[in-house]
Amino acid sequence: MNSKHSLALSLIVSTLTMGSITQIQAATGDVTVYSSRKEHLIKPLFEQFTKQTGIEVNYLTGSGGDLIERLKLEGNNTPADIFMTVDAGDLWYAGTQDIFQPVITETIKSNIPSYLRDPNGLWTGLSVRARTIVYSTDRVNESDLSTYGDLASSKWNKKLCLRTSKKIYTKSLVASIIHNRGVDEASKIIDGWVNNLAAVPNAKDSHVMDAILAGQCDVGLVNTYYFGHLIEKNPDAPLKLFWANQDTSGVHVNVSGAGITKNASNPSGATQLLEWLSSAEAQAIYGSLNKEYPANQNIDSDDIVSSWGDFKQDRMNLSITGELQADAVKLMQRLGYK
Amino acid sequence: MLRVNNLKISFDDNHVLDGFNLQLESGDIFALLGDSGSGKSSALRFIAGLENAQLGSVALDGNNLSDGGSHSVKPELREVGMVFQDYALFPHMTVFQNISFGISHLSKKEKITKVQSLLDLISLEGIEKKYPHQLSGGEQQRVSLARSLATSPKLLLLDEPFSSLDKSNRDQLVREVRDILKKAGVTSILVTHDEAEANTFADKIGKIEKKQLLIS
Amino acid sequence: MKDAFIKSNFWIGLLAFSVAFPIFVVGSSWLLPGSELWSHFAQTLLPELVTSTFILLVGVGVGVSILGTVLAYLVVMVEFPGRSWLEWALFLPFGIPAYVLAFVYLGVFDYSGYAQVWLREYLGIPGFDIRSGHWAIILTFILVFYPYVYMMARASFKRQKIQMIEAGKMLGAKPIRVFWKISVPLARPAIAAGLLVTLMETLADFGVVSLFNYSTFTTAIYSAWGDFRSIEVAAQLASLLVLVSFFLIYFERKARGKAKYYSSDVSHLKAYYAKGLVGWIIFFFVFGVFMLSFAMPLLQILIWSSEVFSIEWSKRYFNYFSSSGILTFLATALTVTVATILALPSRRKSNSKTLQILIRFSTLGYALPGSVMAVGLLYGVQNISSISIYFGGSSINHILFGSVVLLLFAYVSRFLAIAYNSSSASSEQIKPVYEHSARLLGASRWRLIKEVYFPMMLPGILAGGLLVAVDVMKELPATYLLRPFGWDTLAIRVFELSSEGLYERAAIPALMMVIFGAIIMLLFNKLDSEKY
Repeated sequence: MNSKHSLALSLIVSTLTMGSITQIQAATGDVTVYSSRKEHLIKPLFEQFTKQTGIEVNYLTGSGGDLIERLKLEGNNTPADIFMTVDAGDLWYAGTQDIFQPVITETIKSNIPSYLRDPNGLWTGLSVRARTIVYSTDRVNESDLSTYGDLASSKWNKKLCLRTSKKIYTKSLVASIIHNRGVDEASKIIDGWVNNLAAVPNAKDSHVMDAILAGQCDVGLVNTYYFGHLIEKNPDAPLKLFWANQDTSGVHVNVSGAGITKNASNPSGATQLLEWLSSAEAQAIYGSLNKEYPANQNIDSDDIVSSWGDFKQDRMNLSITGELQADAVKLMQRLGYK
Repeated sequence: MLRVNNLKISFDDNHVLDGFNLQLESGDIFALLGDSGSGKSSALRFIAGLENAQLGSVALDGNNLSDGGSHSVKPELREVGMVFQDYALFPHMTVFQNISFGISHLSKKEKITKVQSLLDLISLEGIEKKYPHQLSGGEQQRVSLARSLATSPKLLLLDEPFSSLDKSNRDQLVREVRDILKKAGVTSILVTHDEAEANTFADKIGKIEKKQLLIS
Repeated sequence: MKDAFIKSNFWIGLLAFSVAFPIFVVGSSWLLPGSELWSHFAQTLLPELVTSTFILLVGVGVGVSILGTVLAYLVVMVEFPGRSWLEWALFLPFGIPAYVLAFVYLGVFDYSGYAQVWLREYLGIPGFDIRSGHWAIILTFILVFYPYVYMMARASFKRQKIQMIEAGKMLGAKPIRVFWKISVPLARPAIAAGLLVTLMETLADFGVVSLFNYSTFTTAIYSAWGDFRSIEVAAQLASLLVLVSFFLIYFERKARGKAKYYSSDVSHLKAYYAKGLVGWIIFFFVFGVFMLSFAMPLLQILIWSSEVFSIEWSKRYFNYFSSSGILTFLATALTVTVATILALPSRRKSNSKTLQILIRFSTLGYALPGSVMAVGLLYGVQNISSISIYFGGSSINHILFGSVVLLLFAYVSRFLAIAYNSSSASSEQIKPVYEHSARLLGASRWRLIKEVYFPMMLPGILAGGLLVAVDVMKELPATYLLRPFGWDTLAIRVFELSSEGLYERAAIPALMMVIFGAIIMLLFNKLDSEKY
């Protein structure tokens, strides 16, 4: 009994000290990142950075909203130097919550085009994610496809699969439609989408593509890198991407990006990391890791990615997406888009 | 040696005992008869210190245990033993552990000797390592008795200890327990509703009538 | 004597209050000004989700009660082929996180899953969307959560076996009649306790409902927070969940009624023999449940794992494994200790009403979604810091944020209910007469607790510990938000990979969780069978 007790006690004590030691380590010299970009997508980047500069990078992953709350509550004591997330809406919201400092440098400005950056220099995009139409090459003629809004027309009745409105990519897309077409037009589009659904909206982009492959529906909307993952595994899948809105606003793009926190204890190291992430070398890693588009326009995409061809991007500033997200959600909830 | 004075017990404004008095001398074996709900068990539990009363006092060997209805000496310090209707043997302990529970301050050797002599007394040698559920009802009740006697209590209280047993085993056990108690010379109170059982068991018999004790 | 009780009541009360702390923080959200979000939700989400939450609870409740009870009865009371290994195999689904099971089921049974592809191609049955309507998600939850009822009902049947068989013999009754007339009524408190845990889990679930895109109360909570960034409304909605749980607990108490004390007799009598065809029918039924809830998902996980093992496997998995292990061990030890103290039988009679309510409150965290609990805790610490600064002290944020302490606190608050239900169920079986005889034999309070109460409560404590351990291992949202650097767990790894669509790679940590769960199960099984 007693030896058991003391074992448990020593375990508790050692765990607690371990917890606080890692805390202290995180506060010295190194750069610390809070990231909602998943570990397997950032770790190779940070390792490369450390190899080149000798600066260690600590990171803690989490969901975007959670990490913003944690940053706010930690205030001056936060160990985080950089906050990194995967949606312009989250970046915009983080900007409104006074957790960033404006330290976007000339290097970053020359690497990343301005529409992918915060107008006040609080954050910058680091990779571009295009959300566009995916269709079955067995059952759909490319000539029938045109815009996001066209998917609301009755010719797609019971042929459309969509991802849930709860996902941030859907929210940002709808926000961009509200911006480009106005609320009334956007309502009609969403209403048409909901009427055309062949199934309850899916939880994931990969499920949307599975449903098209299985014949449950013919068209859907996905982020291109999910299509890239699928094609990598199954090159003969009868699926293709279609670039939406090429004659109008262009394909909706979102970013994953980062900014330096207001209370960063190592702002210079953080700036160094951010600059490196915008460099050609890091941008190439972004592309090959996850089939995303580089935010740095001076470099080429990954091979699979460039095989999908060039397309016109919607160049609305991404801060607007963030501002309109709440309206987009209200619209979708009113119209029963689950 | 035991004095219970002017005991008053009530449940929800309904007096069950009022002006209950009892005196016993050392070595007495007393049976307390009464119908169910007459308060006989409550009186016993008051003596043991497990229950409070509205009024009344208990003294054992001249020591005041309870006064004015509430107890001043905790049950664990009263040197009163009790045997319950449903045996109350600890199910996770062996017979040996059960009997030696009250004499944990003794050395291992002393415990072994003591338990053996008690098992001898209740004629159940060699069951030290058994668990209660492996014993019959009568055996469990005898072990329970041995457990109470292990601490050499000044007073032993028996709360309907035979009523869970079937008739055929009961009469024999009543006599056996009586002999054991006589041999050990312990002052005892048996609570029962069975007059025949009381007659077999006790030297003195009292009955609760009209909230008071009548000694017959 | 009395003073000692009041003094210990005070400390017990303080303990219960601390555990309930995040719930009070969440409840205090009502003090904040109202939000226009409420009218938006009232017009859009709420009508549907109130109905669908209700349907889900009723469906899952009825389903797990029937399945769990029938399975428990069969393995305890009936001898059929394969009984002895199925008895413990039925526990194994515990080790698989609900969202992993849901994920596998969707992969197999949804429109694009191979079961439906097969039905379409060979039998010509038209495809259908299993995520529309209610039945598929209800079935999923039943298969995920039946072990709760199974576990509790099984323990109760084992305890009552001897009484039931004696009574059944007197009636000359058939097994089915014994089941309805004697077993089920006697096991009712245990079934109700398992049911309560299931319903609270269902209420707080986010993973399964989001995979099915089904609307429950948590949908609105996550929308308030994730979509509208309103922690207040999220907390207000979450406190309604707590209220629902409060009523569920109340009904459970009523269901227990007066059937409080059981004999602790252990039976060595033989079970009913189901021979021939009947035996095999029973076998295929029980085996079918095992296949569907464990073997099939495990097989899928194994196939996925084998495809990508060389890519995904690395030494870091030892870290994930040990983080999960240490957190599980510490959180379980703490939770079980607190639960045991709160559930000690001597509390019963002397308890004041306030203390009873406080203890009840301390168990309500189970109905809170993990992330709401975690944020509640962060805000609670922040408020304490503010008060401390106001009185000239310093902030405690930097000590607690990102330390294991806060995370462990969250686990205790969240999972106390399971440990408490289980230990108090076993504590209620301890008749007052044991306390009386121990005290009359001169035992001190401490000896009474250590040598009488604790060993007698041990089966319940262990059962509760088992459930807590598995739940902590699977816990995601609170761990994700509160863990310190370098404390990534297996559950986090599963989530990160699967949320990016890398299911094959996610299968590797999932497989480790299943193994981990099986180890916990075996460990407790050994401890449990040692004495009784």
